[in-house]
Amino acid sequence: MNRKPHRNTIVVEGAPVLAHTGHAGAQHIIRLHAPQIAQRALPGSFVHLQCDPYLPMRRPISIMRVDAKAGWVEFLYKVVGHGTQLLSQRKIGESLSLLGPIGVPFILHAERPRPLLIGGGVGIPPMVFMADHIRLHHPGFKPLVIMGSEVPFPFQTQPSKIMLPGIPDGVIACMPLLEDWGIASRLASLQAYPGCFDGYVTELARAWLNTLDPSQRQQVEIYSCGPQPMLAAVAKLAAEFALPCQVSLEEYMACAVGGCAGCTVKIQTPEGPYMKRVCVDGPVFDAYQVFGN
Amino acid sequence: MDFATPLVLLSGCVGFGEEYTRVAGFSHHEVGAVCLKGTTLQPRLGNPAHRVFETPAGMLNAIGLQNPGARYVVDKILPTLDFSETRFIANLSGSTVEEYYQVARIFDNSPIDALEINISCPNVKQGGVQFGNDPEMSARVVEVCRKATNKPIITKLSPNQTDIAHNARRCIEAGTDGLAVINTLTGMAIDIEARTPVIGNNQGGLSGPAIKPIALLKTHQVYQMCKPYKVPIIGQGGITTANDAIEFLIAGASGVGIGTALFYNPLVCASINAGIVEYLQRHKLTNVSELIGSLQLHEASAAPCG
Ligand SMILES: Cc1cc2nc3c(=O)[nH]c(=O)nc-3n(C[C@H](O)[C@H](O)[C@H](O)COP(=O)(O)O)c2cc1C
Ligand code: FES
Repeated sequence: MNRKPHRNTIVVEGAPVLAHTGHAGAQHIIRLHAPQIAQRALPGSFVHLQCDPYLPMRRPISIMRVDAKAGWVEFLYKVVGHGTQLLSQRKIGESLSLLGPIGVPFILHAERPRPLLIGGGVGIPPMVFMADHIRLHHPGFKPLVIMGSEVPFPFQTQPSKIMLPGIPDGVIACMPLLEDWGIASRLASLQAYPGCFDGYVTELARAWLNTLDPSQRQQVEIYSCGPQPMLAAVAKLAAEFALPCQVSLEEYMACAVGGCAGCTVKIQTPEGPYMKRVCVDGPVFDAYQVFGN
Repeated sequence: MDFATPLVLLSGCVGFGEEYTRVAGFSHHEVGAVCLKGTTLQPRLGNPAHRVFETPAGMLNAIGLQNPGARYVVDKILPTLDFSETRFIANLSGSTVEEYYQVARIFDNSPIDALEINISCPNVKQGGVQFGNDPEMSARVVEVCRKATNKPIITKLSPNQTDIAHNARRCIEAGTDGLAVINTLTGMAIDIEARTPVIGNNQGGLSGPAIKPIALLKTHQVYQMCKPYKVPIIGQGGITTANDAIEFLIAGASGVGIGTALFYNPLVCASINAGIVEYLQRHKLTNVSELIGSLQLHEASAAPCG
């Protein structure tokens, strides 16, 4: 028996930039050649990356897509500070140091084949990774992806051909990549973007959940990543429908391997409150343990 | 006590010993010793978020000594460590002198290789740096720990005080076997939109390259005081390269601590070791000990400062 299964689970990889595109709202999509990380990553995993050789402190960033065969990983990030500002200047061919993949991933359950994926803003990437993973490894599953953003979505939206019960008329915009994969998606925003639901992701999710019959609803599990208030609303929604719910959290990090306890969140357990590290105990946690119910 | 290499992984940066082994290529064989996270008598939850924040050439932290308590560390964690890979050093903290004694007693009866007394944690309300900034209190803590154990004791000094060398001497007189110089300096960062401190604890401890020149001078000052007593120093504060490490050795450190640099590059120890070996060869030295305290100061000049 391996008494130290945690050992050697994370690699340091020098990763050349393969593609780097800017989008509205200071959003960027960067693709890096990192074959070992691409091999090992699972939905929910993140990397700790050096944005610039002169800014040695790394930044955690969740993985949006991987191609294990081609050996690349892709990230969506928004410029929010000095680190991401410097990252946005990286050119094709430059190399960045990645530490990853890190963290406890989302877990799918065979008895819940209707995963509801809710991503908000820079919380969208893990939901895309999750959708891709479901497509490749759980072909019998029927996921629905709901995404929210208050800046233009970092992709060209298009009308969906996949019909869904309970979705208000005119809410037809979807993410083309997911549509190509045959995965249903719908978008929400308060910015009145065409085809998008005018309201919160949780309201759109509620509309869909309400039209499911009880046996279908029992097959739903909610997976979510996004800003804290959105996650709190998602956790409330899950409680309302008595559904299991996993959320991915963010916190400032120093080491990202469990060494510094710099990234903790308070988790409620039957034995009382615990401080858990977002980097290695998470970033995915049971929503009920984070937000109560 | 001898170390396989002069490198020491610093308390608070490597959890309770196993965390960095997650990284492929990381090996405890690269370091002479690993200092475990600060441990108190009772478990502590630590401070609210945010606990860490990057600042120019360094970072602030205010973890608040989150730990599961000394009993748990000894009963549940130490048995999982492989003492054949490196030496493990406990890092002790307390709110009262009595608490230091109790924690030292618990570690005395364990396989731990040495005890590091942290009287310089800036991030807790009671104890910590309050002891460390008062030489008489520092000596009191060392004295009671000395009574509690025959294992080697290293006392970790605070840079947030007027005369660190005087404090070092009082700790030596109280029975410490070694000194760690320095712990973090206190600092603050402000979120100008919210007009609140970024760190949940309001203030934190500054580490990383930003503090290296301060740490180097303090190490040298303490070395000059310690020399007649032959008390070794683990120099630390902002070491990220072999050259940094060599500077500390020349200034008088017998060992060099690596903390924040691990966050930059988890595999940094291998390159620091290689760089030290290369330097020794280039200078035709056979052992690190020939380097320790080899600093040649300039003649004291009468010129005014500035
Ligand atoms: C996140 C973090 C946590 C720390 N926790 C402790 C601690 O529990 N006990 C202690 O004696 N020093 C603690 N320190 C101080 C370090 O051990 C070290 O003395 C200091 O960071 C200077 O070295 P560096 O610049 O190489 O990091 C901590 C430092 C950091 C960055
Ligand atoms: S960032 Fe260091 S423990 Fe999570």
